[in-house]
Amino acid sequence: MTRRLALFVGGAALAGIAGVMAFGAPTRAQQAGPAVADSIASTYLAASDTADLLGPRQPIFFRHDLHAGQFKMQCQYCHYSVNVSPEPGIPSVETCMGCHAVVAGSDSGGRAEIRKLRTAWSEKQPIEWVRVHFLPRHVHFPHQVHVAAMGPNACATCHGDVSRMPQVFKVNNVNNMGWCISCHVERQVTRDCTACHY
Amino acid sequence: MSDEGPTQTLDRRKFLTVLGVTGGGAVALSGCSTSRVEKLVPYLVQSEDQVPGVPTWYASTCTECAGGCGVHVKTREGRAIKLEGNPEHPVNRGKLCSRGQASLQGLYNPGRIKSPMLRSGDGFTAISWDDAIARLATEVTKAAGRVGVLSGAGPGTFSDLLADWTAAAGGTVVRWEPIGHEPIRAASRAVFGIDEVPAHNFADARYIVSFGADFLDGWLSPMEDQRGFAASHGFDGDSARFVAFAPRRDLTGLNADEWHAVAPGSEALVALAMANVIGGSGAAGGSLAAYTPEAVAAQAGIPAASIERVARAFAAAQPSLAVAGGAGNQTRGAIELATAVHILNSVAGNIGRTVLFGSGPATGDGYEGLARLMGAMDANQLGLLLVHDANPVYALPKSAGFVERLAKVPFKVCTSLYLDETAAACDLLLPNHHALERWDDARPRPGVVGLMQPVMEPVFDTRNTGDVLLQAARRAGGAFARFTSPDYETHLRDAWRARATGDADTYWIEALARGGVYGGGQQEATAAPAGAPAAAPQAPAAPAPARPSAGSQPVTAALPAFDGDGEFVLAPYPHPFLHDGRGANRPWLLENPDPVTKLTWHSWVELSTATAKRLDIRRGEIVRLISPHGELEAPAFPYPGLHDDVIAAPLGFGHTEFGQFAKDRGTNPLDLVGPPGNATFIPYVSTRVRLEKTGRYKELATTEGNPRQLGRGIAEAMPLDAARRGLTVRQAYIEAGHGKHEINTELEVEAIEGWRQETIEARKLGNYATEHPAWGMAIDLSRCTGCSACVTACYAENNIPTVGEDDVIRGREMTWIRIERYWEDPPPAAHGAPAAGGDAHAVEGVTHGHPEARFIPMLCQHCENAPCEPVCPVYAAYHTPDGLNGQVYNRCVGTRYCGNNCPYKVRYFNWYKYNERAWPEPLHLQLNPDVTVRGRGVMEKCTFCVQRIRGAQHQARLENRPLRDGEFTTACAQACPSDAIVFGDMRDPNSRVAQIRSNPRGYHVLEDTNVRPAITYLAKVLHPAEA
Repeated sequence: MTRRLALFVGGAALAGIAGVMAFGAPTRAQQAGPAVADSIASTYLAASDTADLLGPRQPIFFRHDLHAGQFKMQCQYCHYSVNVSPEPGIPSVETCMGCHAVVAGSDSGGRAEIRKLRTAWSEKQPIEWVRVHFLPRHVHFPHQVHVAAMGPNACATCHGDVSRMPQVFKVNNVNNMGWCISCHVERQVTRDCTACHY
Repeated sequence: MSDEGPTQTLDRRKFLTVLGVTGGGAVALSGCSTSRVEKLVPYLVQSEDQVPGVPTWYASTCTECAGGCGVHVKTREGRAIKLEGNPEHPVNRGKLCSRGQASLQGLYNPGRIKSPMLRSGDGFTAISWDDAIARLATEVTKAAGRVGVLSGAGPGTFSDLLADWTAAAGGTVVRWEPIGHEPIRAASRAVFGIDEVPAHNFADARYIVSFGADFLDGWLSPMEDQRGFAASHGFDGDSARFVAFAPRRDLTGLNADEWHAVAPGSEALVALAMANVIGGSGAAGGSLAAYTPEAVAAQAGIPAASIERVARAFAAAQPSLAVAGGAGNQTRGAIELATAVHILNSVAGNIGRTVLFGSGPATGDGYEGLARLMGAMDANQLGLLLVHDANPVYALPKSAGFVERLAKVPFKVCTSLYLDETAAACDLLLPNHHALERWDDARPRPGVVGLMQPVMEPVFDTRNTGDVLLQAARRAGGAFARFTSPDYETHLRDAWRARATGDADTYWIEALARGGVYGGGQQEATAAPAGAPAAAPQAPAAPAPARPSAGSQPVTAALPAFDGDGEFVLAPYPHPFLHDGRGANRPWLLENPDPVTKLTWHSWVELSTATAKRLDIRRGEIVRLISPHGELEAPAFPYPGLHDDVIAAPLGFGHTEFGQFAKDRGTNPLDLVGPPGNATFIPYVSTRVRLEKTGRYKELATTEGNPRQLGRGIAEAMPLDAARRGLTVRQAYIEAGHGKHEINTELEVEAIEGWRQETIEARKLGNYATEHPAWGMAIDLSRCTGCSACVTACYAENNIPTVGEDDVIRGREMTWIRIERYWEDPPPAAHGAPAAGGDAHAVEGVTHGHPEARFIPMLCQHCENAPCEPVCPVYAAYHTPDGLNGQVYNRCVGTRYCGNNCPYKVRYFNWYKYNERAWPEPLHLQLNPDVTVRGRGVMEKCTFCVQRIRGAQHQARLENRPLRDGEFTTACAQACPSDAIVFGDMRDPNSRVAQIRSNPRGYHVLEDTNVRPAITYLAKVLHPAEA
């Protein structure tokens, strides 16, 4: 673990320098300013600090609190299939690059992370995110039906207020069937086993 | 997509993990369940037509046989996971047989050649495509003018390109299909002057006579013929009678209402005798005079009265249909047989009504062409041989000498996907893409052009042979300079563009979406959907066939000659699933029991029960067959549907190569068959064999339990007359003077009813009091032919593992739906024979007469009072509010009480980790991500495809509408080529299933147990013994 961490930090630092050199100057001007003041305390966390945060460390320190919180992006902008499919959809690297081809980050930590994204894009390597929420393999959870039934707050019901999380962690024990059942009892909806198990 | 292989142990979740990848390696670290680290690997670039978790469908064309059915390919996250029929396609109308569905296991077959290979010594070394194509170009140039090409590909743009390419190389292409129906074509030429195999309109025929044509086992156009047969023979107010004359009762014969075990080779005589009866001895230029029923009866070994009766009924029914000859009846007299049947159809006035010229299946150069090629090989006239989509080393009798001639060719190139026998004997292997990975098209018959498109990235480093030809042409230059297309896709598009009517782009895109172009005209007459009102048969468009009349050429037929002096005639027949052997590398097809014998995974030889008794040969005893050309050993299977002088054996087994599933499995009867000689076709049935006992035994891998119903009323039937009058099964029994089963006492009925009320009350707990659908099924046994397409569909949809030969012997097969085949004795009066007693030889319990075969698909009945439910100590088996008998895998602890208490034996237990061994890589890529892969120690069974129900419900919920009847169905019902299975909501009075359930023929299996099944069977309809 120590070894991995060290390499990780080193890599991040190098990438960060490169990022400053390549893209730092023009984008700093765009991103600096009042937006920073709105953000919650962790805005300036660098990648090396994420060990103190809850939840698994990700290959890129993607900030849900910035994207979903500060910038108020809709969950569905990135999780594009959640309305139509059982699977919520993890954004493709191309989706990230849609913005980050121009947005390079406002501070060295952020730039370092975005640099990693750009490297992945140029090297055509998908990003291997560490999964936070996963259900046992015998459970089928259709996202689209839950979003349709519960409306705008659907996501937060299980995933918590991701818009305030610098690093996503598991708020609710969604692996536990009790979590599902209590909600289904409360809302008077099906508790049939084969609704999920087949 | 081929290089990610992180899944040592396979489970659904890991499968999903892998699914999210476009290019790089996915990492699925293992660990205990609480600290598992899983990766979510997104696409680099999101594909526009793929939504994770939602299937994407592509239209394509099946290439497993010459039928050319249209398919819809279900893909999930970039992988093909299921094939279903294309409802728009005129050949199959949404249906697909087992072989077509198992095409997926060809795609993901571990026996595929993974890259181009070059011979080095006894083996092969992998080379790059650049080197391979350079080598091909060099060799073709070197051998210019001395190039031979053998192709099994049907007509299409590729075949055209191959012909042009070969011409540039100074050679010719021979298009050859092992079971090519050459005799029928030759007979059409002789009788009508039309060089064609006709199409057959089974749907309109009111009386069908088959002279060994195995049209339900995969004859000319299996799906079309089966649909048509179900439409005419299935009971819907009336039912066409079907009579079979053949030495062996194949699956087609088992569906016959009357079977005559004629002597091998005498079918032509019977057909001519029928023509004589109908047309008088003056027909066909007076040449029929010699073929009186009396004269023929002695040679065929059947009563003259039967021939006469069938002939008169055949002529009276308008229109009727006679069909001739499958490979299992292909004697040296096969052309005479086909000629006789053409004459019979002609005399009965069926030409242009049920026998349709101008829309028949495309055929190749036949064995004649191959014989020419072999002659050139023998004379050292070939410098290079290219074999495409054919396996002559296996599919020809050894005595034909192909292997020796092949060795004379200096350089052999093979484009086979698999390392089959022919590929193993070649020098350069250029593995083609699978049909689901490549651009291509097919013209299975006039007016139908099917398109193929790549539905996914190639599994291995293979290349479309079309591209290989073009690239080699570019390298070779010279005569090849005219091939200017940059790649095969462009070549194909240009070919289509040239054919376009209207805007070329629109034409192409529409064709791609529909899976091809299905022109109007003649073929529409034969392509009417099953059950649709019969359209007036159209006259053939192309050359009007002349009816043979006085002055036409005289007809002769005699009993054909057989090689050798053995006691028995050997009749090798195509296996319904393995066909000529090309299906033998697919576990689904090996494990799905042969519908006739119910044997799996190994070969066998059939001898009649009387012969077995005479020679004291028991079931499973290994016998040795000896012909002048070779010998083989295989376990014996005494079979009541066989002429006493015939020994039958399935083709398809006994591969010496062809991957881990096929290699060294069973024996190949072609080893015993003599050379075709000057014949223009392969006379499969041309050899006499001696039989020797070895004294050894083999336990047969059969899925059959008791072959008799023992009065249990499982597969019910009622007389045609009673069905016409609308009697119920019970009324028909009472009318025939039988009681039906025991009636429960009042006390029992009361107790059962009380229990039922209790369960209904229990279901109202929680939110279950609201209205739910009640899922149910209806299966019409008068339509079911036993073809077992539903079984393969279930394997594909529900991730059912194949367990292998040893575990089938132990009775551990996992087939959620199985086809049971029961023998029923004919009533004693019909054949004047006594009922069977306890007889050691009577393996099937029948040593006399001709038993009737009854097929019944058996699956979980989703009983309302399910006996499995109350015995489960952990509530893993329970009843859902929508009427399913649920099985919760994660709750099941494997007590197997439920299985023990099930009267239908439809629950299956995972004795081993089948999930780890049933799908060697990359077969696991086919698994359906919507269905849990079950682990060891779990009981499983039919779920009524609950994943499809839930999927449809979710979609309806999103669209805020109720479910519509027919918007989804189960995998078995979807596949059923006979349309015998109907699924839906029984509570909706307008649903199709509710209407069929009220049919008077409806009954429940084991009704007196009062389990109240959700499946209603409609009794089979029995034609009278003589009509």
